[in-house]
Amino acid sequence: MNTLANSAAVAPPGRVRMLRKRYFPTPLQGVVSVVSAGLLLLISWKLLDWAFLSAVFGAEGSAAECRAAGGACWSVIANRWRIIFFGLYPHAEQWRSALACVAVVAMIVLSCVPSFWRPWRLAAVWIIGTAVYYILMKGGILGLRYVGEEQWGGLALTLFIFVATCLIGFPLSIVLALLRRSELPVISRGTGLLIDAVRSLPLLAILFAFAVVVPFMLPGWMQTGKLYRVVFGAGLFFAAYQAEIIRGGLQGVPRGQEEAAMALGIGYWHRVGKILLPQAMRNALPATINQFVIGFKETSLVIVVGFFEILASGNAAYGTGEWTFAYREVYAFIALIYFVFTYSLSRYGAYLERRMAISSR
Amino acid sequence: MADTHPANVPAVQINGMNKFYGHFHALKNIQLTVHRGEKVVVCGPSGSGKSTMIRCINRLEEHNSGQITVLGTELNDDVASIDGIRREVGMVFQHFNLFPHMTVLENCVLAPMLVRKTPRAQAEAAAMRYLEKVRIPEQAQKYPGQLSGGQQQRVAIARSLCMEPEILLFDEPTSALDPEMISEVLDVMVHLATEGRTMICVTHEMGFARRVADRVIFMDAGEIVEEAPPETFFQSPSSERTKQFLSQVLGH
Amino acid sequence: MVSLLRQQKIRNILLQALFAGIVLLVVIGGWRNAQHALSSQNVVSGFGFLHKSTGWDVNFSLLPASPNDPYWWFFVIGIVNTLFLGILGLTLATFIGGLVGLFRTSSNDLLQLLGRIYVDFFRNIPLILQVFFWYSLVTNLPAPRNAMEFGPLTLSNRGVYMPALNVGGWHVAGAAVTLLLALALPLWLRTTRRLASPPEQRGALVWGVLGGGLLLAAAILLLGRAPGAALIDPPRLQGLNMRGGLRVSPEFTALLVAIGIYGGAYIGEIVRGGFKAVGKGQTEAAHSLGLSPWQSFSRIRLPLALRAMLPILANQYIWLIKATTLGIAVGFTDFFMIVAVTINQSGQTLEAIAILMVGFLAINLSIAAIFNRINRAIALKGNQLRS
Repeated sequence: MNTLANSAAVAPPGRVRMLRKRYFPTPLQGVVSVVSAGLLLLISWKLLDWAFLSAVFGAEGSAAECRAAGGACWSVIANRWRIIFFGLYPHAEQWRSALACVAVVAMIVLSCVPSFWRPWRLAAVWIIGTAVYYILMKGGILGLRYVGEEQWGGLALTLFIFVATCLIGFPLSIVLALLRRSELPVISRGTGLLIDAVRSLPLLAILFAFAVVVPFMLPGWMQTGKLYRVVFGAGLFFAAYQAEIIRGGLQGVPRGQEEAAMALGIGYWHRVGKILLPQAMRNALPATINQFVIGFKETSLVIVVGFFEILASGNAAYGTGEWTFAYREVYAFIALIYFVFTYSLSRYGAYLERRMAISSR
Repeated sequence: MADTHPANVPAVQINGMNKFYGHFHALKNIQLTVHRGEKVVVCGPSGSGKSTMIRCINRLEEHNSGQITVLGTELNDDVASIDGIRREVGMVFQHFNLFPHMTVLENCVLAPMLVRKTPRAQAEAAAMRYLEKVRIPEQAQKYPGQLSGGQQQRVAIARSLCMEPEILLFDEPTSALDPEMISEVLDVMVHLATEGRTMICVTHEMGFARRVADRVIFMDAGEIVEEAPPETFFQSPSSERTKQFLSQVLGH
Repeated sequence: MVSLLRQQKIRNILLQALFAGIVLLVVIGGWRNAQHALSSQNVVSGFGFLHKSTGWDVNFSLLPASPNDPYWWFFVIGIVNTLFLGILGLTLATFIGGLVGLFRTSSNDLLQLLGRIYVDFFRNIPLILQVFFWYSLVTNLPAPRNAMEFGPLTLSNRGVYMPALNVGGWHVAGAAVTLLLALALPLWLRTTRRLASPPEQRGALVWGVLGGGLLLAAAILLLGRAPGAALIDPPRLQGLNMRGGLRVSPEFTALLVAIGIYGGAYIGEIVRGGFKAVGKGQTEAAHSLGLSPWQSFSRIRLPLALRAMLPILANQYIWLIKATTLGIAVGFTDFFMIVAVTINQSGQTLEAIAILMVGFLAINLSIAAIFNRINRAIALKGNQLRS
């Protein structure tokens, strides 16, 4: 009690001294602190002013009103949010698109909960989530009207491309990592060559090749829609990077682990599934989450091969009619959507990394 | 288990076995027979090939020529015979090699459930029995990382016992332990030795060898140099190299 | 038969044969299908098309280009454009990244916060979105008549104009190379141990090389000067458009700014990681030896951090070079865009894709080779610093 009262009594001068020590230890440091603080305040103020104080909200705001206000013109979003979220999806059916997005987000959130980190539970969550998305979007059964892939767009399409990329890429990455560490030289070298070749190419080139070149190479019975080919290309690219991450995780598992399992008579598949991969995935978790973040950002590249994902629909949202001046608002809005996804994922990754650093001694 | 292999078949028979790492001749013309129920201690300077030899017995290392027969089954390229032999041969490692992502109990029941298809309840009951034998049943729900080195090694012994192996291989089980933990592991091993299981131990613990071994084998530079019952081995070794080794190990 | 399959060696051989067989099947099958499909579209396969003229033009080139030029020349132009944009982008990104990394490792919380906001903001938004944003920003600038003056720069919706030198192209290139050498050679002279004299006694030589190089560069510029014109050619308004000066197109500006800012955020994190990897013990040892903060930074922490970050930096550079392919999104004729247009125009799909793969492989391998050399040259000898 006594010490507490004491510390409270000396607190004010101590705090001032601490502040001074922290921000003004030398004149130069003091200048740096003042300039940084000024810069921070300036940025915050400008942003606040642009985005809120001088901004025009609501669907009623007209383009002329916006120009007069000088701040952000959120009316463009209020008028065009449907195209940004759902693209060219039929207006009457857009509730399905919205529900599909909710299903995908719920699926991603669920797979971040540690109690779902069992292979079967994860697989179940992803398969069910994707199936719900697919049925809702495509329809044709359960009394839902059929809507073809060419009408999918906006955020809904972006999410689909991300989910499908992961669904193809993640299992493929495990297969590639295992093949690459095979003891059989033909298999490990061949896989290594494939992984390195894919990694050395730009993703755009791969997407382009799958959109334009691969149709020539496939026999007739394997021809599929362009969307699925491009998603497969993105999945292959994801897998090539993720395979190297998993390989790094596998290298971090001591050799003795596999030997102990062999000495107990445990066969290859059980060794891999029960001993090696669980430990390797744990080692590789931070890098894996980072790879998912990158994968999500890179879905935006499909705009180049002609898909109407969120960025393309954003371009359309401001590109026509009276809103051509409002590109800043539209890009800011889309950037915000990306930011919410990627920033929360990467914060989650950082949290896991800290948690693992504590638990592993 | 005991019924499947007639008693007159030796536990391990090694005949003219050679092993190379590239051009390095790691094991030279090894000749060794271990009878069932026998306790054999293998010692020798580091790099002499002791570990390599016992790792050949359960095919963690592949031998290049010669024959290894375990409980009457020859170890060759046949996948089924390798699997069969690993089921009957348990191994305890220098660095324990417990699975860090599983509890002690899960470590113990994993192999019986996967390999022998034992039902979980039965496997757990057996595991608890063996954990009692190594005197740590109270740690069953902990993770390996929460145990001391000596405790981990005792869990590792229990884990290999859970497969009820005919033969137990020990690869320097006390070398990675702090001095005060060595005795708790050796006590368990001495106790095991009274149970009639075949044991082949690579170790530098000469006291253990004297108390338990039926035979001591001394290896140097990839060869078996000397092979004798412990009394003869320690009192009157025949080779100069053995004498030198013993004076270094026992000298202080 | 069954017992044969149980033999491990035979099983291994069969597995590898199966793997190789599947790969060959896919490759050969794909190739034959493509040959068949393309020949039915009257595309003659082979690299003969490289000598035909393209019939289309590029909007940006450092080298002379016209629609009459053959395809192979356009590929060269594409590679040069990619490298030009890539190298400028990398330089900008490295500069920004170094600054941000220093902010983030500074002892001042406010500076740290600034660095952190920068990294978190720009790293979490897709690069292509940032390219689009900068491109829209530039093309939405006022027309040349009302262009914004920004120091020596003139910003308009036709691009960014800056004063140019009235000097022939080859002379500019020559002067640039001389300038680079004049800066690099003294650095090398300061540190190399290949010369007989110890590095500390080369002061005069170093300054001589630096001064001589600078003079030589200036002389080359003056020599190449167009006769009768002022040396510096500022941009100026003429009618509705700008005349004179050097125009940087909106496409190039947007790509350069986006790559520099986005890459800077990533490189900033790499720099921070590099400094984090320097053991606390090293810094403490430096302080206890009485080194000043600047000395301990420049002699101890920076050299050690550089070694830690180089391998990751190499990967990031390769990534950023690959990012130049975004040129196609705004219409900058980089290597990839040339390949894509070639496929569209000539139908030589497989050949163009093969050229693309070889080109990027060559670029990546060169970057990797350069970094490996640097890495080897500065690697710590032995393993005394492992802990």
